[in-house]
Amino acid sequence: MLTYILFMLVVGSIYALLAQSLMLSWGLAGLVNLGLAGFFAVGAYASAMLTTWEQAPILVGVSVAVLAGGLAGLLVCFSTLRLRDDYLAIVTLGFAEIVRIVASNEVWLTGGTDGISGVPVMIARDTGVWFHLGTLLITVAAVILVYVLQRRLLASPWGRALRAVREDQTVASVAGKSIVRFKAQAFSLAAAIAGLAGALYGHYTSYVAPDQFQPLITIYIFLAVTAGGNARPAGAVLGAYLLVAFLEATRFLAEIAPGVTALQAAALREIAVGIGLVIVLTLRPDGLLPERSQKAPAS
Amino acid sequence: MTDITRRHILGAGVAFAGTMAMPAILRAQTGPIKLGTLTPLTGSGGSYGPSMANTVKKAADEINKAGGILGRQLLIISEDDQTSPEAGLRAARKLIDIDKVSAIIGTWASAVTTAVVPVCSQSGVFLSTVSGAEPITLLPHQGFLIRTQPTTTLQGTKFGEFALSANAKTVAFVSPQTPFTESQFAALTKTVTAAGGKTTSLIYDDKKTTLRTEVDQVLRGKPDAIVMGGYTNDTAVLVRDLYRANYRGSLFGFGYSVNKQLVDALPADVSEGIYTLSPSPAEGSNAYKNVSRLLGVDSPDTYSCQVYDHLNLIAMAMAVGKGDTGTIIKNNVRKVSQGGGERVETAVDGLKLIADGKKVDYDGASGPCDFTDIGDITDAKFRYEQVKGGKITLLKIA
Amino acid sequence: MFDAVLQALVNGVIVGALLAIPALGFSAIFAVLRFPNFAIGALATAGAYIAWIANVTLGLPIVAAIIVAFLSAAIFGATLEYGALERLGRGGALMKAIGSLAMAMVIENIVRFFFGNDLRAFDLPLARDLVFGPIRIGPQQITNFIFALAIMVAIWAFLSFSSLGRSMRAVADNADLARLKGINPRLIALVTVAVGSGLCGVGGTLIGLDTSIDPLLGGRVLLSVFAAAVLGGLGSIPGAVAGAFVIGMVEEITVLALAPAYRLAVGFIVILVVLVIRPSGLLGSKAG
Repeated sequence: MLTYILFMLVVGSIYALLAQSLMLSWGLAGLVNLGLAGFFAVGAYASAMLTTWEQAPILVGVSVAVLAGGLAGLLVCFSTLRLRDDYLAIVTLGFAEIVRIVASNEVWLTGGTDGISGVPVMIARDTGVWFHLGTLLITVAAVILVYVLQRRLLASPWGRALRAVREDQTVASVAGKSIVRFKAQAFSLAAAIAGLAGALYGHYTSYVAPDQFQPLITIYIFLAVTAGGNARPAGAVLGAYLLVAFLEATRFLAEIAPGVTALQAAALREIAVGIGLVIVLTLRPDGLLPERSQKAPAS
Repeated sequence: MTDITRRHILGAGVAFAGTMAMPAILRAQTGPIKLGTLTPLTGSGGSYGPSMANTVKKAADEINKAGGILGRQLLIISEDDQTSPEAGLRAARKLIDIDKVSAIIGTWASAVTTAVVPVCSQSGVFLSTVSGAEPITLLPHQGFLIRTQPTTTLQGTKFGEFALSANAKTVAFVSPQTPFTESQFAALTKTVTAAGGKTTSLIYDDKKTTLRTEVDQVLRGKPDAIVMGGYTNDTAVLVRDLYRANYRGSLFGFGYSVNKQLVDALPADVSEGIYTLSPSPAEGSNAYKNVSRLLGVDSPDTYSCQVYDHLNLIAMAMAVGKGDTGTIIKNNVRKVSQGGGERVETAVDGLKLIADGKKVDYDGASGPCDFTDIGDITDAKFRYEQVKGGKITLLKIA
Repeated sequence: MFDAVLQALVNGVIVGALLAIPALGFSAIFAVLRFPNFAIGALATAGAYIAWIANVTLGLPIVAAIIVAFLSAAIFGATLEYGALERLGRGGALMKAIGSLAMAMVIENIVRFFFGNDLRAFDLPLARDLVFGPIRIGPQQITNFIFALAIMVAIWAFLSFSSLGRSMRAVADNADLARLKGINPRLIALVTVAVGSGLCGVGGTLIGLDTSIDPLLGGRVLLSVFAAAVLGGLGSIPGAVAGAFVIGMVEEITVLALAPAYRLAVGFIVILVVLVIRPSGLLGSKAG
């Protein structure tokens, strides 16, 4: 039971990092990133390849993962600068698919659909509960670090400018803000955070494979951020932990449904997840922790 | 189903009350013995998982009716791996930490198995899988892993020999990208070129709804045999498009992809003549007939046969080891699977013999089920079948 | 080589025709409601299953099954919009998009709950392809292509000549102006969602006729449909059709020129290039 809770808390922390990444690009900069799973994958692969095949220290792997995520973010952002905002969604969605296709098919580079197993872990596996507890401390520290960073950024002139850009691009540009630069910075930083999440995930589960980065992860994180409140770091973090709790709780709900086969129970579980999300969106459209300063506008 | 669920709830309640009341040493000995299935019920593996979970439940019911194991009933808890290592890992943790299962049966996708292996071996939970990717048994698993799926190299070789026996000179391998695509093609090529033939390969995208251009590309090499490496859904698309393209050579597919489902979904003249290959027990196996009876189908798919064997082996290993932990299963599974003793084909028979102090050697629905030290099967016979008039008919077992 | 390319282009046109129907539906919904409805894949699956029941269980002919698929998908889509998604509109277009993703999960699993994951096929013989010189084409493909074209023409006629269709275009162009002219935007939105969803149901059925059906049917083509609509210019009806043909051909040419696995990647790169040159898509309007 303890291990289970610790494990889910680690997964929740990874989701919390992803949620903060999404909050930064979507909630603050207004850039819809449907390619979150792609940046997650880039980070996971970067660190796993370096530490497993090149025996680099984990710290180096994680740092490179953050850089790789940020670079990928810049790349995607610059290739979409001229696009309308609603098209950014499809380009990022495409990016995530391309990452998965490349990871599956370029066997020489990524190990293909086999994935990379035996990725080094941060705390020795044979330490029992300490393996989970130690990893949890590390991931929670990462969540806190990113949280503090975001709070500071938000309070800084940069954060205010970013919000100004989100509210009204024209006004912001008239006020002399370089919209492109702000957006690129926010997007790239967000992608770097997703990269960090990917690296930590790989170093916890010891395994990185293309199938881990299905679009469903991105949907889950959107759920988490929306439920928690998409413009406050605390909302995103809270939403992520709640999401994992909810996903796991549906397991037990499906189990007590009478007279259904295993397949039907699995279907019921996914139905519950979908309906649960819509209910949350309906009841709390601004999330559990809405943005403080002003109400989120209907864009 | 309802009574199982009720029993489950009651069981959980009783177990909880029991835990409170009894000293620790007795805890493990009361209540049902819990085993988990972790199969793909949703996602791209969804056409296989439901029947696998169903087989294990039904086979466990038979064991329970015959008195259970060591006087205790089996309780099967089925989770969905969503064909994703991420979701599969969460489900595995729940089975291990909440349900406290002694074994997890039936991981299908190689990626899910690879993700779950370290967790199982670390927690001392036994894992039996049907994944075919070569490196899986090489993962560090401390003996907690067995698999009944023959290695992909062996299957590639068999396909090569099979195609050669049908007088094929040019063999095309057409497959989506899977963890065993490369090794299979390499083994196929080795066999075919050794006999003076040649091979080509094409990797397609299994999400495409039409493979017309891919088929054109393959047929340009004028193959007289095509080996299909995909799963049921994409193989159905491929077979249709090959038929439309007027391909008249021979077609070979895995038993798990060219199965009853696929044959039922295609007009009889389209699937006519496809050769299939699946791991198999010797002719006249009762275990195979049992799975057929449990599921109510003439030719049960190989994955259902394999998980049936998993459950039987695990049940008997627990009986021999007189305990219900993963470690006991690990230490005793080879005592019931191989090494002589009375030949048995179901756990129900085996458990009776074990209770009488006899040694058993299980021969299953998917093969003789003898394992190497790293958990691979040592020997596999194959069923060679052919689709004739919309029915899968047995050609030979060898 | 020339023959191979020609054949691939023909294949691409046929794929494109199948993509065009759901892409039309997707784009029509976007034009009026201004949000990407991700539930279209699941609606296509649901439509295909209803058509399957009509055809195989009830023994209706294929054409009747397609009509049943259209009507039922239209009802599902409208129920979805007014039962769940409309209320999310307060939170913006993205809320509705996310809501539609969640509803897609719900629909797919309702189908799974009742039908399981097994493959199902329509009661239809499979014919060998007809060969015209270097080109081969299947009778079923020709039928599907004609179906698709007929539906496109019908939609075009509906939008151009019926008063309801003209009102739909008016609302899509400018909802406020339309309201001033006495058009009820809510009613128009309802009709559009119903027609758009119905088209997705038909699209799913046509794909099912060409292959076989399972709960992931719509999910498999979702990205291609989305790509087609974006390429053509979100909200543009002729754009969706043009986009579908381009995406169809690009995917088939990729098989020859690069590797089949990269079809989606190439599709997205084409979108990126087109959007950089023409930010509103092939035939899209400038309005954001």
